[in-house]
Amino acid sequence: MWAVYTIQDSSTLGRARRAAAEGGLRKRVGGTVLLLGTCSLLTDISSEMVSAILPLYLVATLGFSPLQYGIVDGLYQGASALVRLAAGFLGDRLQRHKFVATFGYGLSAICKLGLALIGGAWAGLSAIILLDRTGKGIRTAPRDAMISLSAPKKDLGLAFGIHRAMDTAGAMAGPLIAFALLSAAPDAFHTLFLISFFIAILGFGVIALLVREPPARERVPAEKPDLKAAAKLLKGREFRALTIAGSALGLATVSDGFVYLTLKDQVDFNNALFPLLATGTAVLYMLLAAPLGRIADRIGRARVLIAGYVVLLAAYCVLMVPSAGALSLIIVLALLGTYYAATDGVLMAMGSAHVPEALRGSGLALLGTATSVARLLASVLFGVCWTWLGLQTTIVVFAGALVVAMGLAVRGLRVANA
Amino acid sequence: MRSRALAFGALAVACVIAAVVAAVVAISGARNDEQASEKAVAQARPQAAEILSSGKPFAVFRSVDKGHTETFGRLSIAELQDGKPGAIVPAGPSCARVAFGAGKGICLDLLGTQMDVRLLDAQLKPVTNFTLAGIPSRARLSPDGRWGGVTAFVVGHAYAAPGQFSTVATIIDMKSGKPIGDLERDFTVTKDGKVFDARDRNYWGLTFAGDGDTFYATLASGPRTWLIKGSVAKRRAETIHDNVECPSLSPDGTRIGYKKAVSRNPTKWRFTVLDLATGKETPLAETRSIDDQVAWLDNDHLLYSDGDSTWVVNADGSGRPQVWLRSTDSPTVQENAAATP
Repeated sequence: MWAVYTIQDSSTLGRARRAAAEGGLRKRVGGTVLLLGTCSLLTDISSEMVSAILPLYLVATLGFSPLQYGIVDGLYQGASALVRLAAGFLGDRLQRHKFVATFGYGLSAICKLGLALIGGAWAGLSAIILLDRTGKGIRTAPRDAMISLSAPKKDLGLAFGIHRAMDTAGAMAGPLIAFALLSAAPDAFHTLFLISFFIAILGFGVIALLVREPPARERVPAEKPDLKAAAKLLKGREFRALTIAGSALGLATVSDGFVYLTLKDQVDFNNALFPLLATGTAVLYMLLAAPLGRIADRIGRARVLIAGYVVLLAAYCVLMVPSAGALSLIIVLALLGTYYAATDGVLMAMGSAHVPEALRGSGLALLGTATSVARLLASVLFGVCWTWLGLQTTIVVFAGALVVAMGLAVRGLRVANA
Repeated sequence: MRSRALAFGALAVACVIAAVVAAVVAISGARNDEQASEKAVAQARPQAAEILSSGKPFAVFRSVDKGHTETFGRLSIAELQDGKPGAIVPAGPSCARVAFGAGKGICLDLLGTQMDVRLLDAQLKPVTNFTLAGIPSRARLSPDGRWGGVTAFVVGHAYAAPGQFSTVATIIDMKSGKPIGDLERDFTVTKDGKVFDARDRNYWGLTFAGDGDTFYATLASGPRTWLIKGSVAKRRAETIHDNVECPSLSPDGTRIGYKKAVSRNPTKWRFTVLDLATGKETPLAETRSIDDQVAWLDNDHLLYSDGDSTWVVNADGSGRPQVWLRSTDSPTVQENAAATP
C-alpha cells in the first residue's frame, strides 16, 4: 500500500499516513530495503519510459521493418540471463554487492544518454540496447542479495514484497509519463530519452550515495568465495530442492504474453487494449506483493508460494471454460497479478534462507536464472504446442503440467523446509 | 553520511530541474512548431491549390527537413515537370506516413500505441478519420482511388517470446471511408493450393492494381517472405513468388518493385524489380540496403526514401541512383492528373 501513496497521494493526510507507515516499515525491514526500492522505482520509471515507446521510435520514426524490429526486441529481452549469474558471483567474490549493483545501474543510465545522443543508426542502437539490458542483468542479483542481507531473516518475505511493489509502481508510471510527454510534444523522442536519463541518474544517486553495503552478520569465511564454492551451492540438499521446485513450476508457467493472446482469442477485444492488460496485472501485483510477503513470513513461505501457483492454475481454468466476456478478462488479470505477488518475491525470500551469506549473490542469481530460463523454455514450448495442438489443448496440457510440477514442488519444498 | 545526503539532495534538485526544463522546452517548442506549421500551410494554400487543380502531374510526400522543425512531418506537394519535382509546398496535416492517388489521400498519425487514420480529399483536407491499433508502417492507394492499404505494427504482446512481433495489413474502402478487414483475419490465403494458417504469419506492404479488385502484399512466416496476389471482392489471395517484401505495382501493372532479402540476412535488402509475366528478377542500381516501400514515378523509374531524401533509380537496373528531392520521405506520385475529379 505504501508505494501507492508515494506516487499518488500528496494530500496532508496521505503524507502523515505515509510517514507513519514508512517509520514502521523502516523499523521492520531496514532503511536499505526502502532505499533499494526507491532506486528500483526510479530506474523502472526510466527504463519503462523507453521500452514503452521503443517500438514506436524504431518503427514509426526510424522506419525499421518488422524483422529488424524483431531482432532488436530479441536483444532487449534476452540479453540479461548470463550476465546475471556472473554479476551475482562477482558481488560475492569482491564482497561488495553495492559496488556491482551500482555499476549496473550506472551502465543503464549512461545508455539512456546514449539513446538521446545517437541518431537512427541501427548498429549503434542495437549496441546501446544490448548494453542497457546488460546493466539490468548486472544489477539484479547483487541488489537482491543486499535486500536479503539487510532485512531481518523473519521479515524477508515482507522486504522482498515491498521492493517488488515499489519496482512495479515505477514500471507502471514510466509508460504513463512517456505517453503524456509524447501527446504534448509528438516528436520529442530525444527529450524523452534525456528525461529518462535524468530519472535514471536520480536512481543511480540513491544507490551510490545513500545505500550502504550491508554489514556481515555471519562470521565471514577467511577465504573469498570462488567458483567452486558457488557451484557447490547446488550440492546443498535444501537449495537444490528449492531450485528444482522453482524450475519445475517455471516450466509449467504460461508467459503473460500468451495468456493475453489466449484472452484475445476468447474475448476478442480491440488490439489497442493490449498494453493495458499488463497494467491491469501490475496493479494487483503492486498492491498485494507486500501484504502477501508479510503473510508468507507468518504462515510459511512455501505455503504462500504453492497457493500462488494454485491461483495461476485457477487462471488457466478460467481460460479453459467458455468465455464470459469482459468478466473473464478481469478475473484472469486479477488472478495473474495475485500469482505474481505470491510467488516472485517469496521465492527469493525462500532462497535467501538456504544460501550462506558469503554466497548470497551467486545463490539468488542461480535461483533467479534457473526459474527465468525455465519460463523462457515454457514460452517456446507453448508456441510449439499451440501450432501443433491448438490453443485450447495447449492450455489443458500446461494446466496438467502445472499440477504435476506442484506435486514435485511440494515434495521439494518439504525437503527444503525439513 | 551527512555529506552524502547533501550530495544526493543537490543531485536530486539538479536532475529534477533538468528533466522539467527539458520537458518544458520540448512541449513549448512543439506548440510553437504546430502554430508556425498551420501558418505555413495556410500561407502556401493558393500555391497548393494551383498545383492540385492544374491537371499536371504532382508528387505527394512528407517534408522531413530537420532545419525547419515547423514543417517537419507535414504532408507536402511538388509539381512535376518531366519527372522532376518543383519547389516543396506544405499542403496538408502532419503525418507519420502519407499516400495519395486519384484525388484521395491517406494520412497516418501516431496516437499513443494506436494510429489515427485520416482520409483526405483531392484538396488534401481531412474528410473522415478512424483509429486502428498499432504503429504506422506503410500506406498505399489503388490507382483508381477505390481501395486504401495500411500496414501497422501491433506491439504490447511482443514479449510473448523474444523477437516476436505482429503486423496488421488493413484494406480500406475509400468510398465508404471504412476499413473492410485485415488480411490475417478476414482473407483466405493459400500457398501451393493449401490454406496457409501458420500461427506466426504476418502481412505487410499492400499495393493495388488499377482494375478495382486485384491487390498484392507480403506474407511472412518465420524468416521467410512471399509475394501474394489476391482479390478484394473474393477475400482470397495466393502466394506467387518467394522472398518479396513491400511490393509496389508498376503503373502498367506488369512489374513489381520490392525489397529482396540478400545473403540470408533478413534485414539486408536489395531493391529489385520482378516481371510478373516471366518471373525475371532485376536488381536495381541502388546498392545500399534501404527499408522502404518503393513508389513508381512512371513506368521506367522508381522512388524511395533513405530517411533523409527521396531518391530516383531506373527500373531496368541501369544507371545510378540520384537524389530526387531532399528532406522528404513517403513519396507517391499522381501521374495522370486527368483522372482527378
